[in-house]
Amino acid sequence: MKRVLALALISTFVIAACGGGASASPSPAASSAAATTTAPAAPAVKVGLVTDVGGLNDKSFNSLANQGRLDAEKDFKVTTSVTESKKQEDYVPNLTNYAQQSYDLVIGVGFLMTNSVWKVAKQFPNVKFAIIDGAPANDKGDTENLPNVANLFFKEQEAGYLVGVIAATMANDKVGKATHNTLCAMGGIPIPPVDRYIAGYQDAIKTIDPSATILNGYSNDFVDQAKGKEVGLNHISKNCDILFQVAGGSGLGYIKAATEKGVYAIGVDADQADVAPGTVITSALKRVNKAVYDTVKAVQGKAFKAGDNFFSAANDGVGYGKLDPVVPANAKAAADKALADIKSGKITPKDQLQVK
Amino acid sequence: MRQPTAQWAQGPLIPVISVLVALLLGALFVLLSGNDPIAAYVALVRGAFGSPYDVTETLVTAIPLTLAGLSVAVAFRTGLFNIGAQGQLLVGALAAGAVGARFGDLPAILLLPMTVAAGVLAGAGYGAIAGWLKATRGVNEVITTIMLNYTVVFVMHWLLQNGPMTARNAFGTPASARIGDGAILPIIIPNELVPLSRLHAGLLLAIVAVVVFWFLLWRTSLGYELRAVGLGPRAAAQAGIDPARRMVLVMAIAGGFAGLAGMIQVSGVFHRVFDGFSAGFGFDAIAVALLGKNSPIGITLAAILFGAFQRGGTIMQSDANISSHLVEIVEAIVLFVIAAETIVRALAKRRGTPAEAL
Repeated sequence: MKRVLALALISTFVIAACGGGASASPSPAASSAAATTTAPAAPAVKVGLVTDVGGLNDKSFNSLANQGRLDAEKDFKVTTSVTESKKQEDYVPNLTNYAQQSYDLVIGVGFLMTNSVWKVAKQFPNVKFAIIDGAPANDKGDTENLPNVANLFFKEQEAGYLVGVIAATMANDKVGKATHNTLCAMGGIPIPPVDRYIAGYQDAIKTIDPSATILNGYSNDFVDQAKGKEVGLNHISKNCDILFQVAGGSGLGYIKAATEKGVYAIGVDADQADVAPGTVITSALKRVNKAVYDTVKAVQGKAFKAGDNFFSAANDGVGYGKLDPVVPANAKAAADKALADIKSGKITPKDQLQVK
Repeated sequence: MRQPTAQWAQGPLIPVISVLVALLLGALFVLLSGNDPIAAYVALVRGAFGSPYDVTETLVTAIPLTLAGLSVAVAFRTGLFNIGAQGQLLVGALAAGAVGARFGDLPAILLLPMTVAAGVLAGAGYGAIAGWLKATRGVNEVITTIMLNYTVVFVMHWLLQNGPMTARNAFGTPASARIGDGAILPIIIPNELVPLSRLHAGLLLAIVAVVVFWFLLWRTSLGYELRAVGLGPRAAAQAGIDPARRMVLVMAIAGGFAGLAGMIQVSGVFHRVFDGFSAGFGFDAIAVALLGKNSPIGITLAAILFGAFQRGGTIMQSDANISSHLVEIVEAIVLFVIAAETIVRALAKRRGTPAEAL
């Protein structure tokens, strides 16, 4: 007992001593909404980012949005801050916190926040909001656009189409381990952004390699890797050679299954080539960072556009990622041609699943 | 037989010390990561209690934590480990969401009690399963309650993702239908007093539950029997109390408290069931029960403290740029120190009374 008290006292002294020193050093450039920022002319624009329960280290969605925030902070000299949500109850208070501190732009990262952003945006009409992958939804469950909310949508089907072209070309030519002409995908939860990726993927396969067998599955989770791996092993046992993951953290397990069985995988949202070199042949890119970056730029330039904003191939909002050396030149050429055709409008990838 | 007040008086010293030690060690972590611990804790406190709005936010989190804490504690008192508060909470939420929506047109005077009953009874039933398995087959309740947590999570996926409880909506995330207005727990702080407050009538239900907990355990013969079973099952059996039947009953009561927590999250906060909502309450509840020494006041204070940590943690992130994980570290250290005390006490007991087993 006495020892605990003694230890506590000593710690207090140590911390008091160090604490004095630490506060003298410059605090990180990012937030501190209490401190006024320098800007002589107009006050610096303040941008807040609220992540969903996936957390900042999901290697895709949230981390991309955060990257966009950091890039914008550097390039536009705005003040930014990020808050991670731990449970769904946290969305409203986290968004409200930034709004109460008169932030200029508050970004909700994800489809889970559509109702929460609607609630808070209605209460703070002078604050601008943005939702990634969603539009505000009222309590009845209906979409209700608001004049201070930008809905940042992506045409995921275009990214899915591009990686589908690569996968189908390899399957057609029986490149490397892709010998069974069977391709598959796994989503997290069957929500529209996930299904759009897979729909584009399936569309490309049916166009280029109509004889291919297509498999589809869901892990029902965006975090649990074990569930993703299980689905992956199941698909591989049915001869699938190329596994396209659309399941965030859970999808990393899907990729693990591919690594274990020596076949190929395709990453999603961010470039996931480094997740499993030699296994991940490419990734379907969703430039969430660009969406965040562009929206901050718009707010700063007073060009904020409420309502639906689309990020697609046309404005480099989607694309395909780094190609593994095993990907042959003709697959890359086909993907580049498809990208050009999508940009010109010649190809419009389907956004509805054909194989459920 | 000890009176609750005597136990309580012994109680707060160790929990308070464990919180202080945890805060100190947390400050060390903040320092090591190159940030200012004073700024961090100032932000934490201001986030939890700085303004009336902040206080209401702390309470909104403390309410389900208190109920889940009571759930864990009532089982602990009987010597059982209810690790299933999370699952029982979700079962209660599903039942409340279903009843609230299905009978949505009924007036509040009928619908609200129905919804409360649905949440409590569903949670109780779910808790009773683990109690029954233990009583009849001796299956360890730690295992069954943990597994049952997973079971309800998967059932929820099925119910809410293109299943029987799914409602078409534009949320972009699986959810059930909205409950009727009569099932909603209204916001109890007028907007003029505290704008934007989310504090709902669940607060009153939680207070009632705490009183019920106290009354049940210290003012009824059933409560006496439950505590006797907890202090010494063999002695209790010799006194004519049947531990097996008591186990089912106590797990049902525990499930009822947790089910009420789930119902409150649906009726007071979300007004429908979202897949994956209210994560973590059941597990934080174990810490709350331990910190509160399974006593009604202790649990209430511990729940408010954890609510303060979580609410303050938000402001700490946005104002002082501290990682959200610091709050988790502090909470974990609190648990650590409490566990250490429990172990020390158990060891001392063993050395002191060799003929402990009666």
